[in-house]
Amino acid sequence: MTRMNIQPKILRNSRTFSAACVSFVALLAVSAWPTVAAPATASKADARQTKTLQLPMRTDGPKTLDPAQGSTQYENIAISQIYETLLTFSYADPQKLEPLLLDGLPERSPDGLELTFKLKKGVKFHDADCFPGGKGRELITDDVFYSLKRLADKEYQFKNWWLLEGAIQGLDDFKTQQNADGKKFDYDAPVAGLIKINDHEFKILLTRPVFRFQYILTMFQTSIVPREAIEKYGKDFVYKAVGTGPFVLDRWQPKQSLTLVRNPNYHECRYPSREAWNEEDRRRRLHRPAGERVPFVDRMEFTMYNQEQPMWLQFQAGRLGYTEVPAEYFEEAFDKRTRELKPEIARRGVTAHKDVLLDFIFQGFNMEDSVLGGLAPERKALRQAIHLATDLDEINEAFYNGINAVFDGPIPVALDGHPEGGRTPMSYRGPDLQRARAKLVEAGWPEGRNARTGEQLVIRYYTSNSMLNQQQSEMLKRQIERLGVRFEPVLVDFSTLIEFCDNKKAPMFGFAWGSDYPDAENNLALFYSPNKSPGSNHYNYERAEYDALYEQILTMEPGPERTAVYERMRDMIIEDCPYVGSMGRTRFYLMSPWILNCRPTERMWTWLKYLDVDDSKR
Amino acid sequence: MWPYIARKLLYNIPVYLGIILIVMACLRVNDPVTAYIGKNASEEQKQALRTSMGLDEPFALQYGRFLLKVVTLDFSERSWELKRPVGSILASSVVPSLSITIPALILTTLIAITISLCAAYVRGSLTDRVLMFGAVLGMSISLLVYVVLGQYFGAYWPKQNLGIGVFAIEGYRPITLSSLNNWVTYCMLPVIITVVLTIGYDTRFYRAVIVEEATRDYVTTAIAKGATKPKVMFVHVLKNAMIPVITHVMITLPFLVTGSIVMETYFNIPGMGRTLITAINSKDFPVIQAFTAVFAAIFIVTNILTDVLYALVDPRVRLS
Repeated sequence: MTRMNIQPKILRNSRTFSAACVSFVALLAVSAWPTVAAPATASKADARQTKTLQLPMRTDGPKTLDPAQGSTQYENIAISQIYETLLTFSYADPQKLEPLLLDGLPERSPDGLELTFKLKKGVKFHDADCFPGGKGRELITDDVFYSLKRLADKEYQFKNWWLLEGAIQGLDDFKTQQNADGKKFDYDAPVAGLIKINDHEFKILLTRPVFRFQYILTMFQTSIVPREAIEKYGKDFVYKAVGTGPFVLDRWQPKQSLTLVRNPNYHECRYPSREAWNEEDRRRRLHRPAGERVPFVDRMEFTMYNQEQPMWLQFQAGRLGYTEVPAEYFEEAFDKRTRELKPEIARRGVTAHKDVLLDFIFQGFNMEDSVLGGLAPERKALRQAIHLATDLDEINEAFYNGINAVFDGPIPVALDGHPEGGRTPMSYRGPDLQRARAKLVEAGWPEGRNARTGEQLVIRYYTSNSMLNQQQSEMLKRQIERLGVRFEPVLVDFSTLIEFCDNKKAPMFGFAWGSDYPDAENNLALFYSPNKSPGSNHYNYERAEYDALYEQILTMEPGPERTAVYERMRDMIIEDCPYVGSMGRTRFYLMSPWILNCRPTERMWTWLKYLDVDDSKR
Repeated sequence: MWPYIARKLLYNIPVYLGIILIVMACLRVNDPVTAYIGKNASEEQKQALRTSMGLDEPFALQYGRFLLKVVTLDFSERSWELKRPVGSILASSVVPSLSITIPALILTTLIAITISLCAAYVRGSLTDRVLMFGAVLGMSISLLVYVVLGQYFGAYWPKQNLGIGVFAIEGYRPITLSSLNNWVTYCMLPVIITVVLTIGYDTRFYRAVIVEEATRDYVTTAIAKGATKPKVMFVHVLKNAMIPVITHVMITLPFLVTGSIVMETYFNIPGMGRTLITAINSKDFPVIQAFTAVFAAIFIVTNILTDVLYALVDPRVRLS
């Protein structure tokens, strides 16, 4: 009986409690009433007034809008709309360099050490309160030097210093001096290799006549920023972008959305000419607005998608201009056998485009490992045996719907030096168990056991512990253990994997490399011995002949002569077999009927300014 | 009462210090800088980041410094990923999370209590069994299934086939007094899914509590004194059954702030759950450290609050 008195005070006044509940329900009802069909109506009204392009961005999107601190593809997408680099690749031909903030391509001196640049006149920064009167001023030579020097500033943790390291005369010394303890970074201090001629002309003196420097100048991290903005906004500059790009930042909600509006003062930039497009592109009417001034749309809205279903449904509902096709929806859109767009999708006016990425996915060997490493014939034979036992096509079918490109050597598809049809005569591509077993005998490990001691061959394979890696490791294990070898996958977190590779402790490991620029030199650098661990040569591959060829190609211009050297280097790698591979991803894109001029490529992201929308087709 | 609260607070200080110590130690087992910065970073880059975070200082100094920041609520340290002050990231993530979790908690509690009262009222009948079967069925289905079907049939399908677009497939817009409809468009579907998912657990628990309460002696006495069965059930029993209900709700409170990782990720809601999972995935050390410290504090405070509420409603708790 006493328990009847045990009750919270709030409940003694049950009327108040009931009233609160009723109020809440009423609030729900009131707020729900006007919203039925409201979102669609609002967006249609907006679309009539301005041309708005809605695009998806996978994952959480950019983490920063400061070029000096960016590194991911998502930062590339966002930053490339707001800022601009000196050079870029052509939308019509993504292999071809073209000027962006320059009046023409830089002039190279005969020895290749001196590059002369001429800035395009009349290029203005976006209007912002960091400029006097809030009006963006003209881009000048000092902005270029300032932007390059930022990469040497400790303030930005040298995140992108690797791009310029050892490239420009005097810049490395400048970096050392300016980052000395207790010293304030002086952006006005001279650098021997940065020579100002006037406000629109300058020279850059290189330490070596390397051709890749021009590719570096296409990368979004070298975009030109105004000094005033950084000095005014300080650390907040990461989300207060002021560039010269075709779009101005309107609103950025990290992990959520990014809205850009057309830059009214954008310098004269025109759509590629009809001749620039190849036959197939012309058939797809991509040349239609040739010579017209860009950008075409007034507003660009990116939405970030961490999950595939919402992005897919939004595209299906016609609310996104394009979408990459998530793996789990591949068969919903494409015939798995023919890889053709399904008729019911095509009937809706949706079109597809296949973009082969500059990927190099592999399983590497540590060439300094006491069992798997070395260039002795029997060691080579052991690695070749493992390569021959691996069935990359099975992995491709099982995990990637068979859409990835499988090829010999480290040079991705479409780059100079990539083998025709993806195969070379000396290929060790598996599965060829008979040949693999013969190679094992040659290596002194018949049936996976040491010919002298009878010891079992055990290979420890390190990879990061994602679900996909776990599943792929199991398949690799099954494939390789057919030789009698014991294959032990070790799944570790990414930092441990790096530690093992950096310390040369992982006998075999799984990694991937995405090219920084469309030149095979970038991939061939992975086998250059001065880059050994903890550098990017995690295989610790070392061959004097290869190193000499690498140094030779650095200064060569693109052409058949250089391609021939690339092929020699590629074949050397295939024969020495420091890894099992290769594979490169293919991205399938679908495009809504209302998006125009669209041919997605992930090699650069300056092409979004060429897109247009036809609201009548929405 | 105040000495009781003070005693509780004092007991929890070493607990909190211990939590922070363990969290900080765990976060430093593997070098957080290497984990974050990736495989191609130079030693110079790593050192610059270590210095900027004070990670090159002795652990005791780092511990003391971090505690001081927590005590003074100084979360001005910048996220490695988003380059924004951690405090502003956490602050901007709380509201979206609460827009989902608070309505979901209120609705779930109200509906679950109502259903469990009805079920307990007709205990053993077919209605009771059907309700409990529904509850078990509801809680047996994975959250992911609800989300996937909810997005398709709740947002995509009605819009495509009926032209009714009440709910958005995903997204979030700030909710103000003048834009309450944003809540319905962007938050109501996640709330409905959360309610459907959690209502089964709560209904079963509350029914058990009410059934147990209905067997007490005071119920027999009340009936003997002429009280009707509905009055006994909906007035006397309900009030007394509220004690375990409040306990249950109080335990849930800290998790309102953390939000739902799955819901926020699928519905593209920039809440705390998503912030945390993103920070963990990208090894964003300052955010993880601050988030853990804040969550531990909220958890401890809620625990103390629960104990205090207990003591308020049940004097025997204080005596013991």
